[in-house]
Amino acid sequence: MTSWLDRLRDPSEKTLGVILLAPAFALLALIVVYPIGKLFYNSFFDMRLSGGQGSKWVGWQNYADMIKDGAFWEATWNTVLITVVTVPGALLVGLGLALLANLPFKRQWPVRLALLLPWALPLAFAGLIWAWFFHTEYGFINDVWMRFGGEPQMWLLSPVSAFTAICIAIIWKSSSFMALILLAGLQMIPKSLYEAAEVDGASRWQQFWQITIPMLMPSIVVALIFRTITALQTFDIPYTMTKGGPGNATETLAMYIHKTTIDYLDVGFGSTLAVGMFVLSLVLTAVYLRHISRQESA
Amino acid sequence: MTMKRLWKAGMIAGFALGLVAAGAASAQTMRVFSGGANQRPDLMRKLFDNYEKQNPGVKIEIETGGATSELQRQYLSTVLNAKDAAIDIYMIDIINPMQYARAGWLEPLNGYLGNEANTIMNTYLPAYGAANVVDGKIVALPAFADAQFLYYRKDLFDKYGVKAPGTWDELAAGLKKILDGEKNGAMNGVATTGAAIEGAVCTFLKPYWSQGKEFNDAAGRMTLDKAAAQKGLEMWLSLVDRGVMQKNIGEVKPADMINAFKAGNLVAMVNWGFAWDQLQSQADSTVKGKVGVLPLPAMAGGKSATCIGGWQWAVSAFSKNKAASAKLVRYMSSPESAKFLAIEGSLLPVFAQTYTDADVLKKLPHYRDSLPVVQAAKGRPMSDRYGEVSDAVRTSTNAVLARTVKPADAVNDIEGKLRRVMR
Repeated sequence: MTSWLDRLRDPSEKTLGVILLAPAFALLALIVVYPIGKLFYNSFFDMRLSGGQGSKWVGWQNYADMIKDGAFWEATWNTVLITVVTVPGALLVGLGLALLANLPFKRQWPVRLALLLPWALPLAFAGLIWAWFFHTEYGFINDVWMRFGGEPQMWLLSPVSAFTAICIAIIWKSSSFMALILLAGLQMIPKSLYEAAEVDGASRWQQFWQITIPMLMPSIVVALIFRTITALQTFDIPYTMTKGGPGNATETLAMYIHKTTIDYLDVGFGSTLAVGMFVLSLVLTAVYLRHISRQESA
Repeated sequence: MTMKRLWKAGMIAGFALGLVAAGAASAQTMRVFSGGANQRPDLMRKLFDNYEKQNPGVKIEIETGGATSELQRQYLSTVLNAKDAAIDIYMIDIINPMQYARAGWLEPLNGYLGNEANTIMNTYLPAYGAANVVDGKIVALPAFADAQFLYYRKDLFDKYGVKAPGTWDELAAGLKKILDGEKNGAMNGVATTGAAIEGAVCTFLKPYWSQGKEFNDAAGRMTLDKAAAQKGLEMWLSLVDRGVMQKNIGEVKPADMINAFKAGNLVAMVNWGFAWDQLQSQADSTVKGKVGVLPLPAMAGGKSATCIGGWQWAVSAFSKNKAASAKLVRYMSSPESAKFLAIEGSLLPVFAQTYTDADVLKKLPHYRDSLPVVQAAKGRPMSDRYGEVSDAVRTSTNAVLARTVKPADAVNDIEGKLRRVMR
């Protein structure tokens, strides 16, 4: 009969697996499972840090309030709109950049560097820089606009143009990440395929649609998943560009959660909103994964 | 074996010595959060240096951050909610004591002030002292006062014969004369805070109060007069329509106004008291000696009303050096410190006698006229849910100034949002 000590000194494969994974599980539990669990737990309380009254159990009341809350639906709508615009937008721009970067340059590193820089810039810096670009009086965009004879526009003070400005900034920032992933995918396509296609008389356009895109599909799907999840959590760029203004026209769900928790100190309702965003992300991830598994089995 | 034991003993002894030294050092070090650039941490540092000289063995480190009041509040809320003992003393805005005290984040100073507590509170200007008393407890002491004034270009007003305006209409008419005369495309008439920051709450309240209305009663319940609020917002829009206020007023913050004024591109502005020093003493100011200060114009048939401002020193409830911090806060909130801050930075004092001090008046002759304005300044709604109150008012005001929401709808939004909050 082996005691557990004996098993430790000469573990079976299963026991070894458990021992080696244990630290990772513990870390994951601490920094992922515990906060999410606490989030769900807090959402059932009326917890305000400002009043000093402690927490009061309210059950599903917070969720009922969330469904009735106009600001929540507006913020969700803004977030979905940003996702729908910037994800395909960044994909197109990223694909273009990746194709450009894949051309045979004498020196590769300046191209790679240029591709990498927007991604390396912190989001808040990018937001502040673009906010200055779009500033009515001191902005570089109005400067160029006026040199072409236009009137100075108040880009960030009208809901539609502020939204457009934010999308431009987000696409600029995220297309570099997309381009990097797509460039890696492009480099894996064997040149022999293109040579064979040329021999068979295929045009460049046909080569692009019949070889490049299908071979790039796995990279595209990976890039899309990453980009969509991040787009749902958009906070930094709208926050630094417009603070959700004018009024609440450019407030995203993440900004609304931040405002409720950090500014209003209403942790209970803020947790409820965060659970809402969590569910949204989960649903979208599930949709993507089902699409991939269906593709793989096809 | 003995070598190993000796090593072990040495390590333990060294470790213990290190702990003792660290403990001894921290007992004499205090960490102060001293606000953002507009709260002049450079001047506060000089006062702290002075205190260190008078109290050998005490070391004061300062931390700064947060460009605007609500950004600082959001940062401090996170730190204080975590019960972080790292910071002993906080500089907080005049609107924060009630929210922070009720959340249990501030150490009441009654015990540390002892018998002198009442006499000390009576030396302050009434509204500024009262803002720091919550539920009968003194939770902070004033650092400096502030109120909003009308800054204007004395030289341009004299050149075109414009008199001190009593109402916004008179101001608009005078500015129109100046702008038409100067024919400078980059020049604007008057500006106020239009961006969705804390100061926008004052932009909403000033014309509202000027009509004699109150935002809340003594118990904190909202008493919004919707018609008067709408009239106030429409007044700001009328200034834009008359061409005396810039169209992108929804982007303007106090720092933007000061920069434009310094460059000579703004004839008048509604700004806080701290702006004076920046206009008169900064190297890139083209308007030194050309600046005048007036109480704000009133709405037609109303009285001039201005917003109270100012900053307070509070001791953290989680500080490990409460008694020493209370003593430092006493020093920072004394008449001597107030006189220094007035002369060096034109930060408005919280003591009536400082306004008539000969040395102060020599540097700041307009202080004689500033005192009645500072004394009459009104406080923003005191609420332990001030974050929500401020957000509702400033967001709606910003939307009106950006012309995305009509004044009537904005006032309805404010009332709808705050009806539940200010019960």
